[in-house]
Amino acid sequence: MSTATASTTLSTDRVGQSLPPARKARPVAEFLSTYVFSKDHKVIGLQFLFSTLLWFLVGGLLALAVRWQVAWPWSDVPVLGKLFAQQGGQMAPEFYTMLFTMHATVMIFLVIIPILAGAFGNFLIPLMIGADDMAFPTLNMLSYWFMWPAFFAFGASFFVEGGAASSGWTSYPPLSTNVASSPGAGMGQTLWLVGLTLVGVSSMLGSVNYMTTIILMRAPGMTMFRLPMTIWAMFITAILQAFALPVLTAAGFMQLTDRTLGTGFFSPEGNIVNNAMQATGGGQPLLWQHLFWFYSHPAVYIMILPAMGMVSDIMTTFARKPLFGYRPMVYSIAGIAGLGFIVWGHHMFISGMNPALGITFMVSTMMIALPSAVKTFNWLGTIWGGRIQFTTAMLFALSFVSMFIIGGLSGIFMAATPVDIFIHDTYFIVAHFHYVLFAGTAMGVWAGIYYWFPKMFGRTMNEFWGKVHFFLTFIFLNGTFFTMHILGAVGFPRRLADAYHYETFHHLQPLNAFMTYCAIGMVATQIIFAINFFWSMFNGPIAGRNPWNANTLEWTAPSPPGHGNFDFQPVVYRGPYEYSVPGVEKDHLMQTDPPNAAEAAAAAAAHG
Amino acid sequence: MNATASAIPHDDHHDHGGAHDSHGDHGHHGPVLQYQPGLPLTRGKLIMWLFLSTEIMFFAALLGSYVVLRFGAPVWPKPHHVHLSEPIGAFNTFVLICSSVTIVLALEAAKANKQSLAKLWMVLTLVLGVLFLGVKGYEYSAKFSHGIYPWSPRSRVFEKPDLYYGSAVRARLGEPEIIDRLKALDETAETELSAEQVSARRRLQQVRQMVVSPDQQPFDLAVIADQVMPLPTEAAAGEHGGHAMGLNDIFPWLKLPAVIPGGTMWASTYFLLTGFHAIHVLVGLIVFAILLMYRLGPKRAGMIENAGLYWHFVDLVWIFLFPLLYLF
Amino acid sequence: MANDNSSDGSPKRSRLMGIFWSLLFLAVPVLGVAVFIVAPWYDIWLPKDVSEHGKAIDGLFMFILALTGVVFIATEVLLFWFLWKYDAASATGPAKYIHGSHAVEVIWTIIPAATLLFLAIYQMNTWADVKMRRPAMAASVEVVGRQFEWRLRYPGRDGTLGTPDDLFLVNDLHVPADEDFLVQLKSMDVLHSFFIPNLRIKQDAVPGMKIPVWFKATENGEYDIVCAELCGWGHYKMKGRVTVESRADFERWLEKMYAQQEATQPEPLSGSDGAAVALTQ
Ligand code: HEA
Ligand code: HEA
Ligand code: CUA
Ligand SMILES: [Cu+2]
Repeated sequence: MSTATASTTLSTDRVGQSLPPARKARPVAEFLSTYVFSKDHKVIGLQFLFSTLLWFLVGGLLALAVRWQVAWPWSDVPVLGKLFAQQGGQMAPEFYTMLFTMHATVMIFLVIIPILAGAFGNFLIPLMIGADDMAFPTLNMLSYWFMWPAFFAFGASFFVEGGAASSGWTSYPPLSTNVASSPGAGMGQTLWLVGLTLVGVSSMLGSVNYMTTIILMRAPGMTMFRLPMTIWAMFITAILQAFALPVLTAAGFMQLTDRTLGTGFFSPEGNIVNNAMQATGGGQPLLWQHLFWFYSHPAVYIMILPAMGMVSDIMTTFARKPLFGYRPMVYSIAGIAGLGFIVWGHHMFISGMNPALGITFMVSTMMIALPSAVKTFNWLGTIWGGRIQFTTAMLFALSFVSMFIIGGLSGIFMAATPVDIFIHDTYFIVAHFHYVLFAGTAMGVWAGIYYWFPKMFGRTMNEFWGKVHFFLTFIFLNGTFFTMHILGAVGFPRRLADAYHYETFHHLQPLNAFMTYCAIGMVATQIIFAINFFWSMFNGPIAGRNPWNANTLEWTAPSPPGHGNFDFQPVVYRGPYEYSVPGVEKDHLMQTDPPNAAEAAAAAAAHG
Repeated sequence: MNATASAIPHDDHHDHGGAHDSHGDHGHHGPVLQYQPGLPLTRGKLIMWLFLSTEIMFFAALLGSYVVLRFGAPVWPKPHHVHLSEPIGAFNTFVLICSSVTIVLALEAAKANKQSLAKLWMVLTLVLGVLFLGVKGYEYSAKFSHGIYPWSPRSRVFEKPDLYYGSAVRARLGEPEIIDRLKALDETAETELSAEQVSARRRLQQVRQMVVSPDQQPFDLAVIADQVMPLPTEAAAGEHGGHAMGLNDIFPWLKLPAVIPGGTMWASTYFLLTGFHAIHVLVGLIVFAILLMYRLGPKRAGMIENAGLYWHFVDLVWIFLFPLLYLF
Repeated sequence: MANDNSSDGSPKRSRLMGIFWSLLFLAVPVLGVAVFIVAPWYDIWLPKDVSEHGKAIDGLFMFILALTGVVFIATEVLLFWFLWKYDAASATGPAKYIHGSHAVEVIWTIIPAATLLFLAIYQMNTWADVKMRRPAMAASVEVVGRQFEWRLRYPGRDGTLGTPDDLFLVNDLHVPADEDFLVQLKSMDVLHSFFIPNLRIKQDAVPGMKIPVWFKATENGEYDIVCAELCGWGHYKMKGRVTVESRADFERWLEKMYAQQEATQPEPLSGSDGAAVALTQ
């Protein structure tokens, strides 16, 4: 007992020992193994972070091009027009379909999923549970390096004949399997499938590794119900990945053979495209939709649960208050994940699926709002009666809650089958998922970056510019996406290169132009973030081990932690949210803080 | 140190297949860490179980698709019609089950440190696995020889005797290689042929005439299809593995396009399911081959056990596939 | 208790910042509601409904809007209020040390559960009307989606599809008012979606499937048919028109179109479905 006391108290109070030890000039091999082919989970996490941020930028620019066409169809596109589009700088309609397909693909498969599981999962899991690394570091390294062929596949697809995949991120056959049906259904779609499979392999390697690590490598005393929410979320996300992803991989292979070998899993009999009868057939287009959504619905929760976990941790830290309802929060994550497996049909209400089946999916979809409701109310409960510190990380975390409510509530409209008849495939859907994905998850990611930056780089980001970044992003994002709801109410369809030739929609152009201005502002705002990020990496104030006075284990390690993470044996005595404990001198008790006198007495009494 | 902490067995820290090798390079800054007891499993075994559960989902998706496609299809060919042989399938099932036994025996031997015995069992497992793949290959080639391929330009399977079918038959009969062989067949003396072949030759000539000059002859594609490969009937059930002898059976080099209702989708799913299974078998064999390079003593028991787990899983998948594909 | 003022890097936080940020969060419900109030004024709202079942759908939309609106305002205002009230710069004393409350958890699970269950049951009837209770009648028209147009086929005088007097048209759908109308929806190549905003109808056209779609149009006029499922580069221009008119006008129009077809195409097209027709062209 006494040794543990000594080491933990020592560790928490040490500040300023964060600089990595001075390095001598090292041979190339050493450099490669430390920074490139590193097996250290922290380096791998940062590799994921940098790669995904870069792709975030790509995805954002693609979004701008999308917005440009929606606002001012057939007008010359600045910059991009000269690079890609035909017809003297104006965008061809097939190019538009490629744009939103690749925008969504990049954002989902190369940004949000890898930044949550890959970057934060990698960096945080061992640190927050008190392990020296992942259970299988080599596997972990592989999971990052499997991303690179995927990067190449997706990147290269823009430059192949016919262009990138252009059947939407959902890749519904026969459009995606029939090469004659659209220009991008050629090589671009094949590369898309290859890229998807590689991303899948990467996620799979990551997820089994995370589960093993969390189950077997927790610090002494770190029982499952003392894990921070971030870890719980990562754990359940890993389970989701492991069970849902193989289905997409299988479906992807089937689509690949449909395209390359000429099997007919997804092409119906007697299909005539471009006046040419297709030789194979007998398959079912709806089968792909079932398989795809069996993965991709759970995937939307893969894309938000880790953010929910991180936001929970950040909110408790800056409300200086225990998480309200820790166990309900854990159970609701599990509930979302479990229900997430039986609601996929809500994407297919009007796909031609049996309408009676639609009713069962509608009921399960309604029910999945329940665990989300529990989470929302518990977040509100957490800040109630707190002592709120408006740091940048906290602001992003709060906006996550505020925005998730909007995105979640719009989900209820679509879950109602009759209403979905009208709003399916309109901008109402686009509003919904940008609220949960961008206004939700991406804000959670920013919260995480501002919060854990000190642990990653040993320095804090500039708070003032962080707040400016937050403020502008928040304003612009609502300007861009909130208006999409009313567009959707008019029935404004998504994926249309030009909708204004319809009488029903031609008065919506000014509104779309407004949204595009906001989108441009939103992307421009990120320059502030990028500068702050890189500047602070080298010039920010030195952080010390625990700049936020938080409780969880990662804050007991040096910033940034060295190889092996901990310079002492962490031993856990309590849950992660002991803020403002009455009768304790500090306003927080770290998980490693040994029991205080009162607790020790109670424990002794309990043991008789 | 605290009681909880000191009670923790410090056993499995370096027990995960050399995965931790990078640590030596830079040295720990901190102590070698101890962990809260989780599940009573080694890391290797846990991750293997988790990996297998992802595999279950993978095959579940394939099997589910099979079921949906099969029961959604208006017709589905009988096994015999697509040249599937239950005895061969059953034999292969037996081979795979045997290999599951031998891998267990290898593990037992390794645990008991009987290294050469372990090696023997391992080799036997490998041999059985190879045998399985060999039989599979034989079955595949039987399909190919009947023109059943999973992919369309090569596949000679047609859903119905329509115009596309007719032109495919004509195209096949017009290939130079076939023209030569047909000529040779025409010139062969009747005495050199069996009675069956003689009658088949006559039927073939009729078909050729019909195809070559459709205007003068009654051009009934269904008749041609029936000559090439008759659909199975109750009466013919005993004859040649269930269906009457068609031209393709009597002259295997002929490889005329055949009409098998539901055959395209059948071929797609059959090759998909058995193909992915075969890939998994192959991976298992590679693992066994690698294991054979080591001494199979108690130190390797963990690895053998994990490989065995995987092998049992591959076996189990086949046990689902066999009845689904061959029996129903 | 130590109220860690220095913990976010800035030594002194002013109350002003707390007010600023909480008001920013208050702006969300205020402006959010405002958008929904203002939008209809600019005609950015549900397009005019001219169908029988559309009222139920619109009613449901408004009902859910009201329901979620209440939840939205309540939660967002609460969020604002807590930020306003519990700003560390102004609140005194330590934060509440509370780990949750079982009773409260039960309440806020049960109330939404009941609400959602009610909603689920409440909407089923409308869904059944639109998608499940197919009127007992022969198809009034066959609509076949094709890159990038809607091919229509009226049964002609004899009322049955697939006979020589069938009438073939493209993109120009006419519908008699105040009558049940049954569309037989098909696709020739890829997925399309038959979307008529004013009729509150949307249904994917799937190759290999025949899907019935029915409605009763209540008001004469011309409306858009939109393709709502991505079907290739020309998806955006796959536009049709539907004309709702009286029975008499409808019949007159049928006659006229039929006469036109006879004049331009002396040989009626053969084939038993849209696919075969496409082959012969
Ligand atoms: C992170 C991503 C994410 C998340 C979390 C969600 C969450 C939800 N989604 Fe969403 N969804 C997407 C991403 C996401 N979705 C994407 C990307 C698509 C489009 C894909 C495509 O077509 O390209 C989509 C599409 C989509 C559809 C298909 C629409 C269509 O194509 O026609 C539906 C239909 O039911 C739906 C429903 C829901 C529901 C009910 C939730 C629920 O989980 C939400 C629950 C949350 C709340 C309800 C808010 C908080 C609760 C309260 C404040 C309590 C009180 C509430 C009540 C009593 C009502 N989503
Ligand atoms: C996670 C997912 C995600 C994200 C973040 C976004 C972000 C954005 N999306 Fe996207 N979108 C989708 C997922 C996403 N989208 C999906 C799934 C579809 C459906 C596609 C389909 O129909 O198939 C879609 C479709 C879609 C459409 C509809 C197209 C159509 O149907 O015709 C539109 C139109 O406005 C749009 C706009 C935007 C905009 C303006 C943003 C903006 O928020 C973008 C803002 C970008 C940034 C702010 C970049 C920030 C950059 C950095 C932070 C990098 C900093 C760099 C360093 C530090 C190195 N998106
Ligand atoms: Cu047809 Cu989109
Ligand atoms: Cu979903």
